[in-house]
Amino acid sequence: MKRLLLGLMLASPSLLWAQGSQVNTQSQKAVGMSGAGSALFIDEASIFYSPGALSKMDHNAITVGASGVMYRSAFQERGSSDVHNTKFRITPPFAAFATFGPSNSWWKAGLGVYTPFGGSVDWGNEWPGRYELNHLQLRAIFIQPTLSFKITENFGIGGGFVYNFGQVDLSRSLPIAGNDGQPAQAQLTGVGTGMGFNVGVHYHLENEFAISLSYRSKVVTKLRDGDAEFTVPAAVAASFPNTTFDAELPLPASFNLGLAFPVGEKVDIAADATLIGYDIYKELVFDYKDNTPLLQDTRQEKNYENAFSGKVGINYQTTDNLALRAGAGYVYSPVRGPYVSPETPDNNRVMGSVGFTYDINDRWDITGAYVFQHLLERSVTSAATGLSGTYKTNIHAPGLSLTYKW
Amino acid sequence: MKRALNYTSLYIGFTVLALAYSCKPEIDSFEAQAGEADFTKYVAIGNSLTAGFADGGLYLEGQEVAYPNLIAEQLKQVGGGEFRSPFFSQEQRNGSGYLQLTALVDGQPQTTNVTTNLAYRAENRLAKFTGEIENLGVPGMRLDLAFAPPFGSLNMYFERLLTDTEVNQRTYFDFVSTKNHTFFSFWLGNNDVLGYAMNGAFENPQDPTTTLTSINTFSARYTTFIDKLTENNRKGVVATIPTVTSIPFFNTVTTARLEAGVSASTGGQFTKIYIQTAAGPRQATSEDLFTLRFPTDTLGKTSNGIPGYGLIPQNPLADRFVLDKDEVSEIAARVTAFNDIIKTTANNKNLALADAQAYLNRVKSPGILYNGIGVNASFITGNAFSLDGIHLTPMGNALIANLFIDAINSKYKSRIPKVDATKYRGVKFP
Repeated sequence: MKRLLLGLMLASPSLLWAQGSQVNTQSQKAVGMSGAGSALFIDEASIFYSPGALSKMDHNAITVGASGVMYRSAFQERGSSDVHNTKFRITPPFAAFATFGPSNSWWKAGLGVYTPFGGSVDWGNEWPGRYELNHLQLRAIFIQPTLSFKITENFGIGGGFVYNFGQVDLSRSLPIAGNDGQPAQAQLTGVGTGMGFNVGVHYHLENEFAISLSYRSKVVTKLRDGDAEFTVPAAVAASFPNTTFDAELPLPASFNLGLAFPVGEKVDIAADATLIGYDIYKELVFDYKDNTPLLQDTRQEKNYENAFSGKVGINYQTTDNLALRAGAGYVYSPVRGPYVSPETPDNNRVMGSVGFTYDINDRWDITGAYVFQHLLERSVTSAATGLSGTYKTNIHAPGLSLTYKW
Repeated sequence: MKRALNYTSLYIGFTVLALAYSCKPEIDSFEAQAGEADFTKYVAIGNSLTAGFADGGLYLEGQEVAYPNLIAEQLKQVGGGEFRSPFFSQEQRNGSGYLQLTALVDGQPQTTNVTTNLAYRAENRLAKFTGEIENLGVPGMRLDLAFAPPFGSLNMYFERLLTDTEVNQRTYFDFVSTKNHTFFSFWLGNNDVLGYAMNGAFENPQDPTTTLTSINTFSARYTTFIDKLTENNRKGVVATIPTVTSIPFFNTVTTARLEAGVSASTGGQFTKIYIQTAAGPRQATSEDLFTLRFPTDTLGKTSNGIPGYGLIPQNPLADRFVLDKDEVSEIAARVTAFNDIIKTTANNKNLALADAQAYLNRVKSPGILYNGIGVNASFITGNAFSLDGIHLTPMGNALIANLFIDAINSKYKSRIPKVDATKYRGVKFP
């Protein structure tokens, strides 16, 4: 009877930073073209999209922007008539970029602070996957100082150092009922840091054609001494001590190729292809400081594949001070069926977007964009929990940014 | 102008928000349908499992989540009508009383009996419920005794459902087969072996609930019952009898645990358990089963003038406290024979078959992973079985409801939606 309680052992929390958590909203110009435009736009957001292009800026600027990402997922368990929706949540990924350096010089420095990964999904504690996830909120803030140099008038290179600050907050129900019949709960919160880099080259032919190559390295975020809190019945409290945990979250590397070319006096087309190195995400390990027979370290298989996305956009400069844009894209999911989980019930997705930039005057301009992503319906059975059913997700992300130039 | 612009952007902002809010992804792949069956009036025939008996008692919370009640709730989406149960009142919600877990001491469960808000009107007599009902489950009901009029006074759960004049006169068979049902579930037969097994395979001539029903009787009664219920081509679902050894009641107190306990408490002086069997006394092995109610404190005591009860070959444990391996195989063989009859009858009558035996065997080994919950036959922690080690938890009831729904769906081409079993608890912890 000693080991009676072993059956209650905590299953592995399945925290992850999936494709779905990658929100490329660093520049609202690019958002308006569904993420295309790394070769087209030469501005302060090039710090993120194309460090090689930064040196080609003929002025300095500071941009601050934010998006309201609304992640709407629905789930229907196999054989059930009930559809469960995530609660309405808005995550505000933000981005701020500033450049420094003499005008029309051979070099430019910049600083970017942005959130390339993040999301908030809240299924609540009354859905069939409650023992996998109640809610998850995560955010990675990247701080990236960058230097860029013009090798020739048409050829620029650049690179930046990335320091990452990550936050995570997740909860899930535990199948241990208290006297009120309600399940217990585990809550994990933590912050972690990581480092990486971002390099790129940019080449253009005057008014004809531009190409951008960039590589963003993986950033392994190490969570140290996160808080693990358990709300459990008193009879098993000793087996679930409030403790700390360590975990490692690999944020994948990506390799991006961008092309841009004019198709008319006022119209440009841009296309971007991105390869994302998700295959580094093999497993997720949670190492609890205090282990008990019920609270053991956990190891969960992820086995992600590399992902690919392709985006095209069109930019139309209607008048001197108003540009309109639209775009579309397709993203292949890195997540195989059995590893799809409710944090980001991922699948291949299509997206479409619109956007504008309005030059208020020589100093100020404002950019707005709206992107809609639709994740194709996907029926899966989770390898980790056995949860079987159909997910469908829509993501809406309207955003706005303000730029000051000098 | 500027003001107009402000209003415009505000308006656009709200529109975008409203659009995003209304643009919930829609999934509509599931369409409930009755298929070939008519669920207008569903009745559930069975024993304690059907009644919602749990934690060693019949009480309101258990009644509410009995598997037929969960099935009936799902049937509402395919034309199912009202489904009434002989619920205890709020005031008498604890019914017969039941076991509650009060603590775990070194992993050992401590339980007490709930003794408030009971429903007794006299000793061994529960408050009557004589309204119309569709959940016809009666704890303790056996297939053989379903045809015996005296069972109405012998069993307080059945007595409760009968009018005074019906007691001792009306059989369970008659009681349940006159409800004008359009669809039925039938899960009887467990107690025809379980009563015998729980008594250590010892038939008490004074107690008809401890006998082992013969195969011939079972076959005859089963056929009579199903013939009656399927009159006029009515459809239904029948379930097999679980293997007795798949429940925690027979798997928690094991020979190894008893030996370890004896070794520890006698400082290694005694290390073995000895049992009386039909073939004489012998050392207990892992194939001999003890019940959850085995009085461990009698071990080593003096009995019949000899000390060391159960610890020495000269003073073995009495036969009725142990289900030795020959008795286990006798019971297993009987369960197999009964289930053959059930399966043949289901086949002949074109009824859906919920194979509870196969399902609960799978729960026992290797166990089931259900939506992140480990479900197995471990006592208390296995999530499927309640504190009596025999009857189901609310979660266990939900899983069994799904087993029945799957069986009905596959037989009658219906699409009854499944129950979300994560809504239901396992054992309550203090």
